[in-house]
Amino acid sequence: MRITYKAMTTKYTKNLSSLSTGLNNLNNQVASGRKYSRTSEDVSSAIKGYQIRRSLSKVSTYQDNISHAQDFLTNSESTLSGIEDSLTEATGKTLQGMNASQSSGERKIIATELRTIQDQLLQTLNTTSSDSYIFGGSNTETKPFTVVGGKLLYNGNDVDSLTDGSDALKALKNDTMYVDIGLGVAFKPDGTVDSNSVFNYSFAGISIVGNGTTTIDGVTGPVSNNFYNLLGQIADEFESTDYSDTTADSLYGHLKEVAQKSYQTTTEIGAKENYLDFMTSRYETQDYNLQARQTEVEGVDATAVYIDYKTQSAAYQAALQMGNSVIQQSVFDYMS
Amino acid sequence: MTATFLSFQVASRAMTASQANINVTGNNISNVNTEGYTRQRVDIVSVTTSGAVQQYANPQVSTGIGAEATGTTQIRDAYIDGRYRKQNSEASYYNTMKTSLTSVEDVFDEASKEALSGELSSFTDSLNKLSQTPTSSDIKQVIRSAAQKVTQYINMYANQIEDVRSQQVEDLNVDVSSNFNTYVKNIANLNDEIRKEEIYGNTPNELYDKRNLLIDKLSAVADIKVTNTPETISHDLTINRLSITLNNPTDSGSTPIKIVDNDKYGSLSYADTGDEVNLSVTDTAGVVQNDKNDYFSKGSIKGYLDVINGNGSFATGDESDKRGIPYYKEAMDIFAKKFASVFNNLNNVSTTGETPVALFTGSDGTSTDNITAATIQVSAAWADDPDGIKTTATTSTTTSGKPDNIVKMIKAMSDDQDFKYTPDGSTTESTFFSGNFNECITGTLGNLSTDVSLYENFSDTSDGVLATISTTRDDTSGVSLNEEGVNLTAYQKVYNAAIRYFNILDQNLDTIINTMGV
Repeated sequence: MRITYKAMTTKYTKNLSSLSTGLNNLNNQVASGRKYSRTSEDVSSAIKGYQIRRSLSKVSTYQDNISHAQDFLTNSESTLSGIEDSLTEATGKTLQGMNASQSSGERKIIATELRTIQDQLLQTLNTTSSDSYIFGGSNTETKPFTVVGGKLLYNGNDVDSLTDGSDALKALKNDTMYVDIGLGVAFKPDGTVDSNSVFNYSFAGISIVGNGTTTIDGVTGPVSNNFYNLLGQIADEFESTDYSDTTADSLYGHLKEVAQKSYQTTTEIGAKENYLDFMTSRYETQDYNLQARQTEVEGVDATAVYIDYKTQSAAYQAALQMGNSVIQQSVFDYMS
Repeated sequence: MTATFLSFQVASRAMTASQANINVTGNNISNVNTEGYTRQRVDIVSVTTSGAVQQYANPQVSTGIGAEATGTTQIRDAYIDGRYRKQNSEASYYNTMKTSLTSVEDVFDEASKEALSGELSSFTDSLNKLSQTPTSSDIKQVIRSAAQKVTQYINMYANQIEDVRSQQVEDLNVDVSSNFNTYVKNIANLNDEIRKEEIYGNTPNELYDKRNLLIDKLSAVADIKVTNTPETISHDLTINRLSITLNNPTDSGSTPIKIVDNDKYGSLSYADTGDEVNLSVTDTAGVVQNDKNDYFSKGSIKGYLDVINGNGSFATGDESDKRGIPYYKEAMDIFAKKFASVFNNLNNVSTTGETPVALFTGSDGTSTDNITAATIQVSAAWADDPDGIKTTATTSTTTSGKPDNIVKMIKAMSDDQDFKYTPDGSTTESTFFSGNFNECITGTLGNLSTDVSLYENFSDTSDGVLATISTTRDDTSGVSLNEEGVNLTAYQKVYNAAIRYFNILDQNLDTIINTMGV
C-alpha cells in the first residue's frame, strides 16, 4: 500500500482538527457549566431538562400561591382576634348591665356602649387588605356587611332570614377565595370549580357572625343568632322601659353561645395554617430535589470535565509533537 | 552487421529516455501538493528493427536499438473516481442538511437561552398571580403584558423561520449559478480543449486533472453520472467523448438529462413561489424542462431543496416529506391557532351583559379566523382595556372576586390539548399533536434536534468513508516523495550508465579508427 505525502498530511490535519474540536467542546462545558449548549448535542437529556424546568416553574408558582394564602390567613387571624376582643368586652358589659343594682340610666349608658361595640364589630367585619374585603368571600369589591333598618345584611342577604340547611346559606358559606396549590384542579360537570381540588383560604363572613334566628324561653319573638343583631337586641332590652332580668339573662346566655362560635373559626384558621406549613415544607423538598435533578441532567461536574480536558489537551500536545516527525521524513532528507 | 553509428543512436536514445524520466519525476515532485494532481510516468518502449526483407534467409544476431519515450500518461483509476464522486454527493448532502437544520434549530433552541417555552411558563405564573387577586387592575395589566410577550415570541419564531428560509434560498442560488452552472460550462470548455489536444496526438495530462477536479466539485453539488463514449477520429485514433447526465432514481422509466456533452453544456435555474422552490434544467440541446426536483437525489442542491420544500408529516401528493422549513412553519401556525382559540373560548363568558372580547386575534386586531404564527397578537379590545380578560364566569356582583375563569385558564395551560389541522385537499381534520402547550413546543424542538443529531452522525460517517476513498484514490494517483526520490536516483544512474556506454562506444570507434592496422 502506497502511503503518499498527501494522504499523510490530510489524515494528520483531520486528526488534529478533531482533537482540537473536542478540546473546544470541553472548554465550553467548563466555562458554561452546562453539559450541552444545544438541544441537538444531547436530545434526550435536553427534553428531560425542559420537563424539569416546567416542574420547577410550577413548584415555584404553588409556593407563591401558598405564601399569598398564608398572608391572608394571618390577616384574617389577627382581625378575628380583634373581633373576639370586642365580643369579650360586649359580654362583660352585658353582664355588668344585668347586675340588679344597675339603675335604668346606667343601663342606658351600657346600651350605648354596646351599640358602639356593634359599630366597631361592623367596621372590623368590613376590614380590607390591599383594597380587598377579606370577609366577603368572593365579594372583594363592595362592603360585605351592611346595615339596613338596624338589621345586618351579608352580601345583600338578610342574615336573620338565612336558615340552617338552606341553599342560600350553603352557597354563601361555600363562596370563598381559593388558589391552586397543586392538588390537581378539577371542574364539576356544571363548570364550577370542585372546591376539594383547590385551597380555600378566605372565610365567608357569614360563618363568623352566625345566621338565622332561634326562639328562647323567656324572650318574646325570635332571637337573632348573629352577634351584631343580638347585641342590638340586648341594647334594646337595656333601653326598654319594661326591662326584664329573665329576658336579659336569656339573651346573655345566647350571646355567650354565639361568641363561642367565632372561636371555631379561629381554630379552623389554625388548622389551615398547619396544613399550609406542611405543604410549604413539602414543596421546599420537591424544589430541592428538582434542582438536584436539573444539575444532574443539564449541568456538568466541574472536576470530571477538567480531568477530561487535561487528557484531551495531552493527546493534542502529543499529536502536535508527532506531526513534526511524521511529515518531515522522506528519502530526500537522506540523499546526498 | 549493424551500422557504425547505430549504437550511438542507442546511447542517445537512452539518454533522452532517462532525461524524460528525470523531467517527469521533477514534475511529480513539484506538484506534490497540487490539488487534483495525478502522478505521471513516462511510457518507455523498447525499439527494434523490423521489416527487413532479403532474398535469402540471413540469420543474424539482432538486437534492439534502445528505448524510446513515447509519451507521458497519468496513473488514475476511473472506477475509484466514480466511487469518490458518488460518496462526495452523499457526504455533501448530509453536510448541507446538517448546516441548514442547525440554522433552523437556532430559532427554536432553548438549551442555553430563554425562549417560548420559558415564556409560556411565565405566562402561567402571571395567571396564578391574577388568581390570587382577580379584581386588581394592575395585575390585569401585568397579565396582558405577559400575553403580549407570548405572542411576540411566537411572531419572532415565525419571522426568524422566514429569515432562515431566505438565507437557504440565497445559498441555493449560489450553488445553482456560481457552482453548478459555472462548473458545467468550464467542463464543457475543457472538453473542447482536450479533444483538440488529443486529435493532435498529445496527452494533455494537466487538462485531464483540471477537468477531473471540476467534475469532483460538481459531484458535491448534484448527483451526476459521467460517461465516456469512444469516438473514432481516424483509423488509428479513437478518443473519448465525455458526457455528464442527471438521472431520476425514483422513476426507472425516466430519461436522463444531458448537462454536458463534449463542448455543449446545459444550465440550471430555480423558481421560488414563496411556498416551494422548483428547479428547471436546460439540457445540452437547449430544451428547457421544468419541475425537475426529482433529478437531484444527492448533493448539496438536494439538501437545500429538502430544507426549503420539506413538508414533513403535512406532505400531500408528491411534496417532500422530509421535515424542512415549511413543516416547522406549519407547526408554529397550528400552535398559534390553538393557543388563540383555547383562550378566546375561555374568555367567551358574559357576566354583565356586555359582549365578551377575544383575547388573541390576527393582524387586524379584531378577526379570529386564520390566525397564524406571524400574525397572532393581543386583540385591540384587550389592548385598550385590561378588564377584557374575564376572571369569573359568575354573573352576580357579589362574586366579582371569584377566580374561577382564571383557574380554568391556568388548567388549560397544563391540560392536554389536541392540535388539529386540515390537510390540503381534505375536509376532515387530522391531529398534529396531543399534549399541553409546552409539550408541543418542546416536542417540535425535539424532532428538529433529533434530525440535526441524525444528520450530524450521517455526515461524520460519510465524511469518514469519503476520506477512506480519497486515501485509496491517493494510493493510486498520489505522489509519494520517497518513490520519486528513489526513481530520481535510479534514473540518474541510468543516465550515467548511458553516458558510460557512449564513452565505451566512442573509445571503441577511436580504437578502430586510430589504432587498428596502424
